[in-house]
This record gives sequence, C-alpha cells and structure tokens, in this order.
Amino acid sequence: MKNSALYAISVGYILLYTVLILASGVWLFLLSQGLGSASGLLDTLKDIIALPEEKSLRGLIEVATPHLFAMGALIFVVAHFMLFSTTVSKKHALFVALIVFGLALFDIFSYFAISFGWVVSGWLKLTALFAFVSSFMVLLTLVAFSL
Amino acid sequence: MKFLITKELEYSRLLKHLMAAVLFFILLYLGFDVALHAYVIGAEIQEIALTLFGDRENFVEPMLLDALLLQVHTDLFMTLFALLILTAITIRVHDSKALTMWAVHLVFIVGILAPAILLLAYLLEVSWLVPVWLFTFALWHFVAFILGVSAFKRVLFL
Repeated sequence: MKNSALYAISVGYILLYTVLILASGVWLFLLSQGLGSASGLLDTLKDIIALPEEKSLRGLIEVATPHLFAMGALIFVVAHFMLFSTTVSKKHALFVALIVFGLALFDIFSYFAISFGWVVSGWLKLTALFAFVSSFMVLLTLVAFSL
Repeated sequence: MKFLITKELEYSRLLKHLMAAVLFFILLYLGFDVALHAYVIGAEIQEIALTLFGDRENFVEPMLLDALLLQVHTDLFMTLFALLILTAITIRVHDSKALTMWAVHLVFIVGILAPAILLLAYLLEVSWLVPVWLFTFALWHFVAFILGVSAFKRVLFL
C-alpha cells in the first residue's frame, strides 16, 4: 500500500476521536440518570443500580435508532483497519470485532429490559455499558499496535 | 478507507466519479454544518456567549449541559467520518507528501479542539474561550474545505 505512513496518521486520529465519542456517550448516559443535578458519580451509579430513571418506549427508540447505525458503522470502520495489520491475525481481529458488535447490541437494548420491567435494577445497563466500552477499547488498542 | 486506496484511479472511472461525488457531498456538509452551528449556538461572539452562559439580568437561561454534550457527541462522530473520507482521498490524490501530512495533522487537531474548547468554555464559564472556539471551528471547516476543493480538482482532472 502506497503512503501507508500518511494513512496511519488518519487512523491514529480516528482512534482518538473514537475514545472521545465513547467518553462523551458515557457522560451523556450518566447525565440522563441524574449526574450533576445533585449527586456525584458514585451516588449516580448507586441510584442507577437501585432505581434507574424511567424511560418511555419512544425515548428508548429515539436513542436506539441513531446508535444502531452509528455504533455499527463506527465499529466497522475501526475494525476494518485490522485488514492492514501485520501484527494481529485476521482470526483474532474478527473474534474481537464480533464481540464488540455483540456487546454494542447488548448495550443498546439493555435498557429495554429495564423499561419493560423484566429487570428491576439498573445493573444490567451498567454491565452492558462497561462491557461494550471495555471491548471497544481492546479493539482500539489492537488497531493502535497495528499502526 | 480500504475501498479508496486499493484500486488504481487511472483504470477505474467508476471509483474516480464516486470519489468526486462524495467530496461534493462533504463540501456541502461543511457549509451546512457552519449554518447549523450558527442556528444552534450562534454566529457572533455575543450571541454564542448568551447561548452558553445565559444572561441573569435579563433572565435568559444558559443552554443545558445535556443539549450541549449531545451536540459535541454528534459533532465528534460527524467530524470523524467527514475527515476520515476527506483525508483518505487527499492522501490518495496528492503528490506533495510533506504538505499533505501537515494538512492532515492540522485538520484533525483543530477538528478535535473545536468541540473540546466549546465544552470547556461552557463548563468553566470562561468568556475568552468563545472567540477561541469560533476561530478553531472556522479554521477546521476552512482547512477541510480547502482540502476538499483541492482533492475534488485533482480527482476530476487526474
């Protein structure tokens, strides 16, 4: 591939942008659960576990719809950089990418279970969010080491 | 990105026209993004300051953190995709490697600084950051526009 050093610059910045998108997404979720209004981070997490905010079906769909496209597209773009990798095998890259795709779906739909009353506590959403962000960070690290 | 860098342009009229079309859309996007931010946040320094900090004397509430953070979250995503495609094509069609490298660094850095400065200005309530945000926001759009026009000309006449 010609100009691979120049493409590596773009890919490096894409990783940085992705980390900031993930961070702002987590922050937005915590704000919607009451962070900043009266409680700190730990209290907000406890509140989410004990009594997550009620959300209507319309609200859930409004959040889920853009995220289904955006998260899918972002994971695809980041994961496809692994095609250029000479340090990580395609098999491992595929495994990690599929896990990130799966956990993204789990994260998007976990609040539906809370809103429909299948799960009372908000631990499910927190677990899903933590698992998704962690797995995405693993994928970003793999891409970073492949540059 | 892989689709944009694997085929030789000389042998693929289809890819050449697709790249020209996507560049045209990105150039339009850049213009509309400026208009959108002028409506949502403001076009002049005083207007932006009013949106971010409000005006207690005249009972004008500042923008909610949720709304601003959602705008920043969306901006980062849109900027990522626009710059990814724009820089991939720019690297592909330009011969001057040193100039291209600095342009790519500049547009990505200023593109990430703009939302960060906007958020900092809001959180710290620092009014001098408002013109800094306006400058960085205008600069990344300007650099991206120049890159887009330059790549568009190269793609059409390659």
